[in-house]
Amino acid sequence: MVAMPSEPCQELTQSPRYNLDGDIIFSVAKDQHICAWYSHNGERLGTYHGHVGAIWTVDVDPTTTMIASGSADNTIRLWDVKSAKNLKTWEFPTAVKRVEFSEDGTKLLGVTEKRMGYLSNIVVFDINPDPAAEQTDERALTIVCDESKATVAGFSYLNRYIIAGHEDGSVSQYDAKTGELIDNIPIHELNQPIVDLQWNADRTYFITACKDKSAKLVAARDLTVLKTYPADTPLNSATITPKKDFVILGGGQAAMDVTRTSARQGKFEARFYHKIFEDEIGRVRGHFGPLNTVAADPTGKSYASGGEDGYVRVHHFDKGYFDFLYEVERERINRMS
Amino acid sequence: DDDYNEDEIDVSDLRERFEVQLEHGYDTFVVIDGLPKVTEDQKPKLVKFLLRKLNTVGTTREDLIYMPMGEDGKSLSFAFVEYSSAAEAAAATRQLDMVPLDKKHTLRVNKMTDIERYGREGRIDETYQPPKIDEFTQKEHLKWWLKDPSGRGRDQFVLFRGDNVGVFWNNEKDQPEGVVERPHWTETFVQWSPKGTYLTSVHAQGVQLWGGQSWSRQARFAHPYVNMVAFSPGEKYMVTWSNRPISIPDEGHPALSIDDDGKNYVIWEITTGTPLRSFANLDLAKPEEGRPPPKLQWPAFKWSADDKYVARLNPGQSISVYELPRMNLLDKTTVKIDGVVDFDWAPATVQRDGVKEYEQLICFWTPEIGSNPAKVGLMSIPSKEIVRSLNLFSVSDAKLHWQSEAAYLCVKVDRHSKSKKSQATTLEIFRVKEKGVPVEVVDTIKDTVINFAWEPRGARFAIISTTEPVGPTAVAPKTAVSFFCPEKTKGTTTGNFKHLRTLDKKNSNAIYWAPRGRFVVIATVHNQQSSDLDFFDLDFEGEKPESDKDLTANLQLMNTADHYGVTDVEWDPSGRFVATWASVWKHTMENGYHIYDFRGEALREEPVDKFKQFSWRPRPATLLTKEEQKQIRKNLREYSRTFDQEDADRGASADLAVVEARRHLLNEWYEWRENMEAELAEERER
Amino acid sequence: QEHIDTFARKDIIEKRKADASKIQADRDRENARQKMLREQALAEAEAKRLAAEQKEREEKRIKAEHDRVRKEEIKKQIAELNMNDKAIELDLNDIDNIDTNRIRAMKLAQLEREKNDVNERLRITGKRIDHLERAYRQEEAKKLNADYEK
Repeated sequence: MVAMPSEPCQELTQSPRYNLDGDIIFSVAKDQHICAWYSHNGERLGTYHGHVGAIWTVDVDPTTTMIASGSADNTIRLWDVKSAKNLKTWEFPTAVKRVEFSEDGTKLLGVTEKRMGYLSNIVVFDINPDPAAEQTDERALTIVCDESKATVAGFSYLNRYIIAGHEDGSVSQYDAKTGELIDNIPIHELNQPIVDLQWNADRTYFITACKDKSAKLVAARDLTVLKTYPADTPLNSATITPKKDFVILGGGQAAMDVTRTSARQGKFEARFYHKIFEDEIGRVRGHFGPLNTVAADPTGKSYASGGEDGYVRVHHFDKGYFDFLYEVERERINRMS
Repeated sequence: DDDYNEDEIDVSDLRERFEVQLEHGYDTFVVIDGLPKVTEDQKPKLVKFLLRKLNTVGTTREDLIYMPMGEDGKSLSFAFVEYSSAAEAAAATRQLDMVPLDKKHTLRVNKMTDIERYGREGRIDETYQPPKIDEFTQKEHLKWWLKDPSGRGRDQFVLFRGDNVGVFWNNEKDQPEGVVERPHWTETFVQWSPKGTYLTSVHAQGVQLWGGQSWSRQARFAHPYVNMVAFSPGEKYMVTWSNRPISIPDEGHPALSIDDDGKNYVIWEITTGTPLRSFANLDLAKPEEGRPPPKLQWPAFKWSADDKYVARLNPGQSISVYELPRMNLLDKTTVKIDGVVDFDWAPATVQRDGVKEYEQLICFWTPEIGSNPAKVGLMSIPSKEIVRSLNLFSVSDAKLHWQSEAAYLCVKVDRHSKSKKSQATTLEIFRVKEKGVPVEVVDTIKDTVINFAWEPRGARFAIISTTEPVGPTAVAPKTAVSFFCPEKTKGTTTGNFKHLRTLDKKNSNAIYWAPRGRFVVIATVHNQQSSDLDFFDLDFEGEKPESDKDLTANLQLMNTADHYGVTDVEWDPSGRFVATWASVWKHTMENGYHIYDFRGEALREEPVDKFKQFSWRPRPATLLTKEEQKQIRKNLREYSRTFDQEDADRGASADLAVVEARRHLLNEWYEWRENMEAELAEERER
Repeated sequence: QEHIDTFARKDIIEKRKADASKIQADRDRENARQKMLREQALAEAEAKRLAAEQKEREEKRIKAEHDRVRKEEIKKQIAELNMNDKAIELDLNDIDNIDTNRIRAMKLAQLEREKNDVNERLRITGKRIDHLERAYRQEEAKKLNADYEK
């Protein structure tokens, strides 16, 4: 296990993100720069300076050429991964809480905060994959979320839909070309915000994490809830592991919300559930504060968790993890081979 | 003889909630509306005038009338008035409301508590619905649950979490099986009747009893704003109590009459649902300066073991014994006992040596008065004859502890030295069934004994003592747990009580014996730092230490468990399981319940948000005769064989079902994935 | 002349005598000194030898004491083991060859055995209590309907 302390202050919420090859982790915190790390040993590769406010979100394109970030300084910035050059800055009237590239890296989406009379927007830009090229100022699309604030959003398979999670516990499906709202379904408890939304590899389904203490696996095509994972603490993040049919949930109550400050009470553990059977199969300790983000390595070798304690922890899976199978799973594998 | 022991009902949590309500203390206040607006100068005249009216129904004073003034220097046409008792305040609302003050002004008088209640939540329309008189229907079998439909002899429990009440079969390690679940079934708490026949729900309008396989309403007792309920041991009667005096509206009340007006307690007959008699609160002595107010005694009305009598203490003076069901005072007079502090009925009907007449026993104690010693007395009812008394000196306090079969009575006597500087405790044990009721002084314990508990149906007991003064301290005091048991004797008599073992440097503060004895849990409850549960066996079937060879116990610590934040512990009626829970009534940390087996092995841990209450369903005495029980014990091996086989089969089929369900889920998932992948491939082609 | 010669010779003789005597005296002194040195060396050697012997004796005594304590400790441990479990037999005469680590391991094993023994007994007790309760309830259930009729 590799722990990467942020510096210099530990009172930082960490949000790690893997690149597609799983060898680099980008992390952001409230300290205004982005860090890149080697996932296998925690060695720092570089930092990206330019934001002048807390950074809430980062995403990397499929070729690890560019990263995008969203910040409390009301900007989305695009960066060249190698040179750390700030390629483009888009400005908004409010903070940007979420950015995400489409599957093919040709589109970038951002979710802006609702504040000071501004509604929360989902904005889309077309991205030129050449880092040397000029990027457009024009938004390809703007979706205004007037019913309930969008907290998280992303592109589905084949850039067909934009899926958003809302503050009221519902998810929306928009036409990614026109921005038209196709469907909105309340899948979580009313007015319990959805705080994370992560995709499976082909982006046909996704997992939501909600403050209502549950995570749900949802089909992108029709927003059917496929699975539900109940937890005993409000959740901040959920991720789907490739290679194994697991999901990982992270959360915990912040010290200020609990009557007694203790790791025991806070439940600061990453929880593993079986994706298909919905059983909880294990927990991993390590953080001293709530888990803000859990991210699965796209190659399936590890996972990273970012905590409010200011650490990003990378856990490399051992043999036991890969060997773990339910009897019926083993039976199925034997039948297939 | 499977009698449920009423002593085991832990009402401490109920008491706590009730005491919180007392603190509101608005019951003696009324709000007067419709007064003329007066200036500061005119005010004293109005107050005097008003006082004359107010004092026609009770006692209040000028300085207990608060008439707020508006910004314009004039009064606001209303005033708050404090009466000397809640009954008077109730009388004022009935007698002074709508009384004209002069030609222009009519008084409106309301109880402060009503304004709080109705004004706040718009609950005005929450009026009482009179019950429909049901036609006679074949009554349901109220004991259906004794026959566990799964044939596994399981017990039930009720869970109260959030606003939901549910009854479940205990499934040990597995998810409990739901029997019935209803939202908002009760408003404040639930309570089983002592034999488990009824589940009690408590509402602003009164108490309701539920039971039978359909969980239909069996009875309702319309005692408005009821706070507490206590059943007689035989479930024939119950007493309800409300902090607020009953107020009978002009249009009448469906169950109570004008005679019940101003009363706090109602004694009911359960089968007919009729009130037998009502009583007002006794005036509690005014607390001394700086002292906390005296705690309400609950249960205030105590039942004899056979439901024939109910009695109440008039502190310092007498005990009132009433005969059921007529509720007349026995011999038309109270039992005068000068100075009496506490009393308790024998929890079982005792056959004393050489006594042929029917009797129920009451024990009581009186403190030292002048040069007269403190006294413990044992009285036979209905003769009121004192059958045994004991004089004691240097007594600072005494507590009465009956053994469940009333074979023994232990009086725990806290004594002080002449200088009153040091404390010690002696245990005076009355051997009730032996000729002449001999009293044995067990031991002088230098420390303060903070807890004592008899083994149910046994002759052993455990105590918890501490050297540190008892009082509210940040850190719980260090305590020692001691076990006592009789010496072995040749004959059938019980030998002298001897010290068996002391375990010190503990934090334990509670003793929970299994309902049939032998096993005991010594726990640390309501404690921030420690939450140990020590499970002991007193008849361990293993090697016995040489030092204990003359004693009737073989003590073995079976297990120590830790349930963080535990507030309550309760054995199931069979003594096979122990439930422990952390109730949101006490704190908000890690609420939920655990179930252990008798030896302290954790079977289930269930965290539940807003978890309030857990309660095992009691069972009535067994229908089996002694002979039948003996026969079963003799043939246990055969039963065992069947049970083993059944358990193995069930385990296997449960496993099979789980595997089948998983296989189904797996197939369903991969089918969905294949569909999705095919669809995706097709769309990519386009 | 002769007289003079004689005197001269006498002088010479005297002188020789004196010389001889001086030489003798020197030799004696030297012999005495040598002897003293030799004796001194001998005495020192003897003292050293005695000291060494003393030290050796002391060491032996301490070792013996250690052995005694250790043996006692082992005996005690063995006694404890034997008291709790007759099955363990150790040869007390072979005490020098007993490894204390082995005793510790045996002790741990014994605690484990005792715990298992307690657990096994409790398991049997538990099963009996459960089965007895179930048997009672099964038989009681048969009487329930009759009870309802009452």
